[in-house]
Amino acid sequence: MMEPTPAPKIECRHLWKLFGPDPERVRPLLTQGVSKTDILTQTGHVVAVQDVSFAVRPGELFVVMGLSGSGKSTLVRCLSRLIEPTEGEIWVDGVDVMKMDAAALRQLRRHQMSMVFQRFGLFPHRRVLENVAYGLEVQGMEKATRLKKAQELLDLVGLAGWGHKYPHELSGGMQQRVGLARALAVDPHILLCDEPFSALDPLIRREMQDELIRLQKMMHKTIIFITHDFLEAVKLGDRIAIMKDGVFVQVGTPQEIVSQPADSYVREFTKDVPRVKVLTARDVMRPRTPFPPNGYSPTCPPSLTLESLIPLVMDHDDLCLVLDEDALCIGELDRTLVMQAMVGG
Amino acid sequence: MVLPYPRIRRTYFNIALMLLLGVAAALLAWHHLGGGIGPFPAEWNLGLRQPMDDFKVWAIGNRNSHPIFLYFFTPLSRLIDSSLRQVEAFLLWLPWPVLAAAIFLTAYRVANGGTALVTTGCLLLMGFTGYWRQSMQTLALMLIAVLIALLIGIPLGILSSRSDRLEKGLRPLLDAMQTMPAFVYLIPVLLLFGVARVPSVIATVIYALPPAIRLTNLGLRQVSAEALEAAQAFGSTPRQMLFKVQLPMALPTIMAGVNQTIMMALSIVVIAALIGGGGLGELVLQALRTLRVGRALEAGLAIVFMAILLDRLSDALARLDVTGRPPRTEPFRLASRWQGVGWASHVERAGQKFVRTGDRMMGWASRFTAHPYGLLSACFLLLLLLVSLLAGWQTFPPAWKIGLEGVTDNAVRWAQVHLYNIGGRGWGTGPFSDWLTLQVLNPLRSFLTVGLPWPVLILLVAAAGLALSGWRLAVGSGVGLLLLGFLGMWNASMDTLSQVIVAVLLAVLLGVPVGIAAARHPSLERGLRPLLDFLQTIPSFVYLVPVIMLFNLGRVPGIIASVLYALPPTIRLTTLGLKQVDAAATEAARAFGSTTWQSLRKVELPLALPSIMAGINQTIMMVLSMVIIAGLVGSSGLGIEVVTGLARNQLGLGVESGLAIVILAIIIDRLAQATVQRYQQAMNLSQG
Ligand SMILES: Nc1ncnc2c1ncn2[C@@H]1O[C@H](COP(=O)(O)OP(=O)(O)OP(=O)(O)O)[C@@H](O)[C@H]1O
Ligand SMILES: [Mg+2]
Repeated sequence: MMEPTPAPKIECRHLWKLFGPDPERVRPLLTQGVSKTDILTQTGHVVAVQDVSFAVRPGELFVVMGLSGSGKSTLVRCLSRLIEPTEGEIWVDGVDVMKMDAAALRQLRRHQMSMVFQRFGLFPHRRVLENVAYGLEVQGMEKATRLKKAQELLDLVGLAGWGHKYPHELSGGMQQRVGLARALAVDPHILLCDEPFSALDPLIRREMQDELIRLQKMMHKTIIFITHDFLEAVKLGDRIAIMKDGVFVQVGTPQEIVSQPADSYVREFTKDVPRVKVLTARDVMRPRTPFPPNGYSPTCPPSLTLESLIPLVMDHDDLCLVLDEDALCIGELDRTLVMQAMVGG
Repeated sequence: MVLPYPRIRRTYFNIALMLLLGVAAALLAWHHLGGGIGPFPAEWNLGLRQPMDDFKVWAIGNRNSHPIFLYFFTPLSRLIDSSLRQVEAFLLWLPWPVLAAAIFLTAYRVANGGTALVTTGCLLLMGFTGYWRQSMQTLALMLIAVLIALLIGIPLGILSSRSDRLEKGLRPLLDAMQTMPAFVYLIPVLLLFGVARVPSVIATVIYALPPAIRLTNLGLRQVSAEALEAAQAFGSTPRQMLFKVQLPMALPTIMAGVNQTIMMALSIVVIAALIGGGGLGELVLQALRTLRVGRALEAGLAIVFMAILLDRLSDALARLDVTGRPPRTEPFRLASRWQGVGWASHVERAGQKFVRTGDRMMGWASRFTAHPYGLLSACFLLLLLLVSLLAGWQTFPPAWKIGLEGVTDNAVRWAQVHLYNIGGRGWGTGPFSDWLTLQVLNPLRSFLTVGLPWPVLILLVAAAGLALSGWRLAVGSGVGLLLLGFLGMWNASMDTLSQVIVAVLLAVLLGVPVGIAAARHPSLERGLRPLLDFLQTIPSFVYLVPVIMLFNLGRVPGIIASVLYALPPTIRLTTLGLKQVDAAATEAARAFGSTTWQSLRKVELPLALPSIMAGINQTIMMVLSMVIIAGLVGSSGLGIEVVTGLARNQLGLGVESGLAIVILAIIIDRLAQATVQRYQQAMNLSQG
C-alpha cells in the first residue's frame, strides 16, 4: 500500500527473553544454531521470546495470537518491562524504553501504557470505584478529582451504579469491565491487553469484544491485544501476528493471513474461520494492470467480503470487475475463483 | 554446553549407609566384648560455663557505670517499666462494667453476637475467680509485651518478605526462639534488664515474637502475584505497593500472627512469674510451691478465661475478610441445636430486639457521622463510666468470688487416699509410678548411657538421617549429638531422652486409639473437643500439682504431665488424618468386602499415616518443651540442670543445659519431619 507510514507508536527490534539462571550466557548459543529443545534439556533455560521485531502504528489494534506457552504474555510484559527482556530494543514514541531508569519507567507506566489482565488483576480489598481510581491515585491525584474521573469511566463501561461494591460481588464480565475502566482511567496512549476476554464465557466474550470495538472507535488508542482465539483476532485486529514457540511466524491483516497462510501451523488456525466473512474481493481477484472499466460488466469495491460477493457472481455469467477509489479496474473475478477461495484453494 | 544433573548416586549412598552401620556394629561388639568405650570424654568440654559466669559478674559490676547500661538497657527498661505501670494503673482504675461493655461492643462489631457473649462472659468469669487485680496485672503485661512484639515483629516481617536472604537468615533464629525453653534466656534477660517486671516483659516478647514475624512475612508473600503485577503495571512505587496493596491484602494473615503472638505470650505467664512477672502467674507459682491445688486451679482458670477471651477477640480480627467485613451471620440467630428450647428462644428474641433497637439508633446517628457505631459505643461507654465511678464500681466485687479451693482440695485428697494404692494390693498410681521408674525408665536410661556407647549412638543417628533424608541431615544430626557431649551434657541428655521416649510412647499408645475412635464416632469427637482445648490452654503447671500428689516426686509426674500436655495433637491429627482419607478409598475397601478392621488397617491408617506422624512429631516437641517444667518436680536430666542454674543463679550451667535441650529438640524434630516427608513422598500425597 502506498499510504505514507506514520512514525510507529511502539517498535520492537530483535527482542529476546530467556527464562533461567543465566540467560546472558545461554543466549549466544541460539545464534550458533543450538535448538531450543537442547537448550532446555541441557541448560534448563526456556526461550520464551525469540528475536521478535514489529512496529505498531498509532491508533492501530495489533493482535498477537498464539497457542498456550507460545510466549505472548512474556512479550507483552516485556514492552513495559514488567518482565526484563534479555536482549533487544523497545521504542515508544521514539524513546528507548530499555534505557529508562526506574523512575522514568514508572512515569511510562503511569501515563502512557495501561494494562488489562486475563484474570482481571483487581484489588480485592478495594471497592470498584477505588480500583478504577488506582492508577490516578499512584500518580498522586487528589481524592475528589480522581474519584470523579473514575466514576466517569465506570459510566463509560456501563457500570454506573456499581462503584461501591467489592470486586468479588461482580460477575466475571463486569469485573473485566472494571479492569478496562481502570486501564482507561489514566488516559493512556497505549493499551496492553493480555487475553482480557479468555476467562469469560462465549456470550459475554462476544459482548466484551463489541464493547472494545465501540470504545476503540471513540478513543483511537494504540492497542496490543493478546489472544489465543483466532476468531477473536480476526474480529478485532487491524493486523495480526501469529506467534509460535517465541517466534512471529506471520504478521499481516486478517485477510492476508487467511488467504495466504505462511505455513501449515497458520493454516490450521485459518480452517476454523468462516472465510466468506473475512476474505474480500481484493484477496481473491486476479490482479490486472489498472484500466478503465467497460461499463456493462458488474463491478464491486475491493473491500467487499465474499459473503456479499457470492450473489453477484451467481447472478452474472460475466467477469466481475474490482474497482478502486479512482474507478479504475484493478482486478477481475469469476465464479471459479470465488469457489476456490471459499474452499481454501 | 552440558550442565550435569545433580543426581544422587544410589550406589555411593548405599555404601555409605552400610559403612556407618558396619562401624557402629563393630564398635558395639567391641564394647560388649570388653573393649569398653568410656563415657563421653570430659576433657572435650567446650568450656562455655566460665565465660558465661564471667559475663554475669561483669554485668552486675557494671550495671551502674558502663555506657551500654547507662545509655541503652537502663533507659529502655525505665521506659518499659513506666508504660507497664501506666497501663496497669489504668486497667485497675477502669470500672469493670466499662471494660466488659467495651469488650462486648468490640466483639460484636468485629464478629457477631455469639462471640460478644462468649468474650464478655470470659471477662466476668475471670472476675468470679476472685483474682481481678492479678488478672488486670497480667493483662497489662500481655498488652505491653504483645505491643512490643508487634512493633518489632511486623517491620521485621515486612523486611524479610522483601529479601529472601533475610528470610533464610532469620528462619533458624526463629526456630531456635520457638524451641528454646524460655528458661534459657531468663537469666541473661534478668541481668541486662534488671528493673522490676521488665525482664519478664522482655522474656515474653522474645517468646512471642516469632509468629508475628513469620505470619507477616507469609501474608505479604502470599499476596497474589496478579494484584502485585497490576499494581506494578500502573507505576506504583515500592512504598505505594506496600501500603496500598500488600499490607491491606496481607492483613488477615498478619492478624492471625497477632492472635498467635497473644497466645504465645499468654502461655508463658507462669514462667515469666519466675523472674517477677507477678499477676496470675505468680499466684499459680506460689500455689504450686505450697502444693495448694485448689488455688492453682482457680488462678489457672483465670488464665484460661483470659486466653479464651483474647483468642476469640483476635481470631475475629483475623477472620475479617480483606475488605474489612466480618463474615456476617444473622443477628442473634441461635444454632439449630438450641432451636425449640424454650428459654433459648426467649434469649434469641431478646437479642434480636436489642439488635433492632441498635440498628434504629445507628440510623439516627449516621446523620451526624460516617461511623455511627463508633460514636454510639463511645457515648454509651462514657455514660457507663460516669455511672460506675459515681456508684463506686471499680474492682470486680470480691464478694462475688466463686471459690473452688475447698472442693478441689477435697477431691485431690480423696484421689490421693483412694487411687494411690487401691485396696493395698499393689495397684494404683503409687505402684505404677514405681514400676515405671524401676522397670522402664532405669533400664532405658542405662541402655542409652552404658549399653550404647556414645560413638555408636552418633553413628546410628547419622545413619538414620542418611536413610531418611540425605547427607545434610546425617551430618547435621551427628554433629548435633557430638555437641551435646562437648557441652558436657551427654549423660543428662540421655537421661532426658529416655524420659522423652517413654512419654512419647505413652502419648501415642493413648492418643492414637482415642483419635481412631473419635474419627469413627463424631459424638466422641465433639465431646473430646472442649477437653482437648482445656488441656492445651491451661498452663501446664496447673496439672502438675495433682500429678505430683498422685505419682510422687521424681521422673514419673513429669512424664505424666508431659503426656497430658502433649496428648491433644496426637489425638487431633489422628482424627483429622483419618477423616481426610478419601471417601472413595474406603468405599472401594468396603466394596471388596473388607471388615471394618481390615479397612482401617489396610486402607485408612496407611493413608492417614503422614498426618498421624505429623501429630507424633508435634507431640515430641511438646514433650520436650515440658522437660524443664518436669525438672521443677524433681525429674532428673537436662531439666533439673536448667532449674538448678536458674535457682542458684548459675548462668553458665543454665545456658549449657538450655542449649542442650534446644539441640536435642532440633535433632529429633528434623528426624521426625524427614520421616513424615518420607511417608508423604512414598504415598505421592505431596512433593514435600
Ligand atoms: N517466570 C518464568 N520462569 C520460567 N519460565 C517461564 C516464566 N514465565 C513464562 N515462562 C515460560 O515461557 C514460555 C512462554 O510463557 P508465556 O506465559 O509467555 O506463554 P503464553 O503464550 O502467554 O501462554 P498462555 O496462553 O498459556 O498464557 C512458557 O514455556 C513458560 O513456561
Ligand atoms: Mg499468557
